[in-house]
Amino acid sequence: MSTVAFPTLPSRRYGGAVVTGMSEVEEEQDDGVRSLAARLVAGDETALEQVYDRWSALVHTYALRALRDAGDAEEATQQVFVAAWRSRHTLVPSPHALPAWLIGIARHKVSDVRLARSRDADRAAAVAAQPEAHAVVEAADEEVADRLVVRQAVEELPDPRRTIVFLAFWEGLSHAEIADTVGLPLGTVKSHVRRGLVTLHQQLEGVRRESR
Amino acid sequence: MSHVDPDRLAELVLAPDDSPSDVRRHVESCSECAVTLAALSDVRRLVGEESLVPAPAGVRDRVMAQARTRPPPADDVVRPLASTVPAASRRGPRIPVWAAGLAAAVALVAGLGIGRVTVPEPAAPEPEDPGSVVAAADLTALDSDADRGVARAVSVDDMVTLRVSARELGDEDGFHEVWLINVDGTRMVALGVLADWDTGEFQVPRGLIEEGYRIVDISVEPEDGDPTHSGVSLARGELA
Repeated sequence: MSTVAFPTLPSRRYGGAVVTGMSEVEEEQDDGVRSLAARLVAGDETALEQVYDRWSALVHTYALRALRDAGDAEEATQQVFVAAWRSRHTLVPSPHALPAWLIGIARHKVSDVRLARSRDADRAAAVAAQPEAHAVVEAADEEVADRLVVRQAVEELPDPRRTIVFLAFWEGLSHAEIADTVGLPLGTVKSHVRRGLVTLHQQLEGVRRESR
Repeated sequence: MSHVDPDRLAELVLAPDDSPSDVRRHVESCSECAVTLAALSDVRRLVGEESLVPAPAGVRDRVMAQARTRPPPADDVVRPLASTVPAASRRGPRIPVWAAGLAAAVALVAGLGIGRVTVPEPAAPEPEDPGSVVAAADLTALDSDADRGVARAVSVDDMVTLRVSARELGDEDGFHEVWLINVDGTRMVALGVLADWDTGEFQVPRGLIEEGYRIVDISVEPEDGDPTHSGVSLARGELA
C-alpha cells in the first residue's frame, strides 16, 4: 500500500499577484466536472476513465478506512465504478454531484460487505471484535468521507495554493516556514491559506448538499 | 455592521490572536457568521489527518473491461415485450439497459437456490394478517445482495394480493412501479405504482403467478408518460 506522493514542491518561485483570478479558476473546474458528468451520462467510456483517475483514490481510501481490509476495499472500489457506469443515467450533472454520487455508491457497497461479513460464519469473530453500534459506525463513515472530500479538494486547488495549504495543514509548517519554502511573501501565503480554507469549506458543503 | 467576509472568518479560525476585535464582536452577535465560523473550524478540524491511498494497479483495467462488456443484443431478451410506444419516441438507452438488467435477473434466477436466504414457504401469517402467505420474495438490490425488503403473495379467499414492503429504495426523482417478470425472462406485466414510495398492495390474478410471473421488480420511473419499464430497477426478488 502506498500513499499518494504529495506535494511536488514547485521548482520555480512564485511571485506577484497570484491571489487574483482564483474564482475564475474554480468556476472553470466546476464546468469541467459538469461536462465530465454529462459525458459519463452520455456513455462516453473515456469519461469513465477520467472519473476513475480523478476519484478512485477517494473511493478506495473510503472503502479501506470503512472496511479495514485491503482485499475488500479493492473489490469494493472496482464494484463502485462498474456500478457507477451501469447506473450512469441516474447521475444529474452538477459541480459536486460526481464525488457525492460516487461516495453514495461506495457507502452502499460498504454496507453490503458488512452485511455479507455478518452473514458469514467464518468471520463472526471479526464482527464480534468490532462491536460498534451501527449509528457509531455510520457517523465514523461520514467523518471519514468528509475528511477525504476535503483531502481531495486540496488536490484540486490550483498551485501554489495547493502546495501552501498542504504544507500548512498536513505538514504543519508555520506561515513563515511556508513563505521560505515556496518563496512568496508572508502576506501572500497567509492569504492563500485563508482562501484555501474557505474553498475547502465550499467544496465540502457542495458535496454534502449533493449527498442529501 | 454587514456580514464579515468569509476570508476574515477564516483568519479568525487560523489565527485568532491576529484577528481584529471588530470581527470577533460581530460574530458574537451574528448567528449567520457564527455558523460559517463553526463550519470553517470544522473544516480546519477535518484537514491534516487523511491521505489518499490509490487503488491497486489493475482495478482500473478490470473496471474498464467490465464497463466495455456489452449486454446481449436487446432482441435476444426482450423480443416479446410488446410495447405500445412507438420506438421513435423512446429514449435510446432504454432497451439495452433494461435488457442488461433482465439478463442479469435471469442469470440470477438461474443461479439461485444456494446462498440466498428465502422466507420459508409457507411463511407464518402475520398476526394482523387474515390471509395466508402463499409465496414470498426477498427483495434485493440488483448490483448486490443488499436487502431491499420483501414481497408477499397473500391468498385471501380466491384472490391473491401481492404485498410489497420495500426499503431503502433511494430518493431518486420519479415514482416507484411494481412489475412481475416471467421467469422465462421474456414477459412482464406492470402491477402499479408504489404510491407511498415503498409499500403497497396489488391484486394479482392467481393464474399469472402460476404461469411463471414470479419475479417481483421495482423500478423508478420518470414522469415522462412512457408506460414501459424505465430500465432502472431498484429491487428484485423471486416469489418462492
